[in-house]
Amino acid sequence: MNMHKDNMTNTKNTNLIDDSVISDPVMEEQIARGISDLLNNRAQHLKPELEQRLSAARNAAVNHLAEQQAQYSTANQVAGHGHVLRWFGHAGQNFEQHRVASTALIVVVMLLTFFAVQQFGSTHNLENSDAFLLASDLPPEAYADKGFDAWIESN
Amino acid sequence: MDRIQLAFRWVLLSFLLVGVGVASADEANQTWGQLTESQRQVLNPLASEWDTLRPWQREKMLDIARDYPKMSPEKQGLVKKRLTNWSRMTPYERENARKRHQQFKALPDDKKRELRQKWNEYQKLPESERAKLRAESPETYGDSGIE
Repeated sequence: MNMHKDNMTNTKNTNLIDDSVISDPVMEEQIARGISDLLNNRAQHLKPELEQRLSAARNAAVNHLAEQQAQYSTANQVAGHGHVLRWFGHAGQNFEQHRVASTALIVVVMLLTFFAVQQFGSTHNLENSDAFLLASDLPPEAYADKGFDAWIESN
Repeated sequence: MDRIQLAFRWVLLSFLLVGVGVASADEANQTWGQLTESQRQVLNPLASEWDTLRPWQREKMLDIARDYPKMSPEKQGLVKKRLTNWSRMTPYERENARKRHQQFKALPDDKKRELRQKWNEYQKLPESERAKLRAESPETYGDSGIE
């Protein structure tokens, strides 16, 4: 009964507060304590239905936060598979999910690299191929003839 | 899962590389009749003996046919003219010829001209004398001739 009286007094006091009082830091702190006490007192006497609703709202908020954290963690795991994919942002994440396409792309890149190296090698060795030896200023017999070597030395 | 995916990629790559190797080996096993028209035109001097060549010999000749279109008509004529003699050289002689050709290419123009002139003079020697020179020369090919 006394507590109810206190609450009533607090309520009256709160109603009496004007802007000039709030601007005083000491008074502001006292008012804040009063509000806090009032809320605590009222919280002790909530109706069961209200407590149930508050509990459900709290659980919903916590579940929502947990879901958000799980999504963030999954996104980081995807990026962790290859930092290159992160450069593509969301497209990169989608790409990681398409593992077949990812594998195919890697194989295609490897093949292109292989053929590019082959092509470069063949162009580079073109002047050293047997065809160019045959078309050389001297016939192949001249390069292979031991007697020619000996004759040059003796002359 | 990642390991399975990685293994799958390696297996796929291995299959591709093996496929390229098998395709190359198949090409070297082709008979004269299986060659393309352009290959037959280039390798025509070898038509009668093509099917008796070893796979590695055919492979080298097919390389020549591949590079042939990239040459000037004058050089193409030289290739056709010299192809038969080239195919009859031993692998050892051919390998030495390749080495000497590399050395020859590195020579200055005046030295190349001089060697061409000397080769013409050497060709004018009687065959018996050239045979004697060959017989007296050591088996290993020295670098003294082209320097």
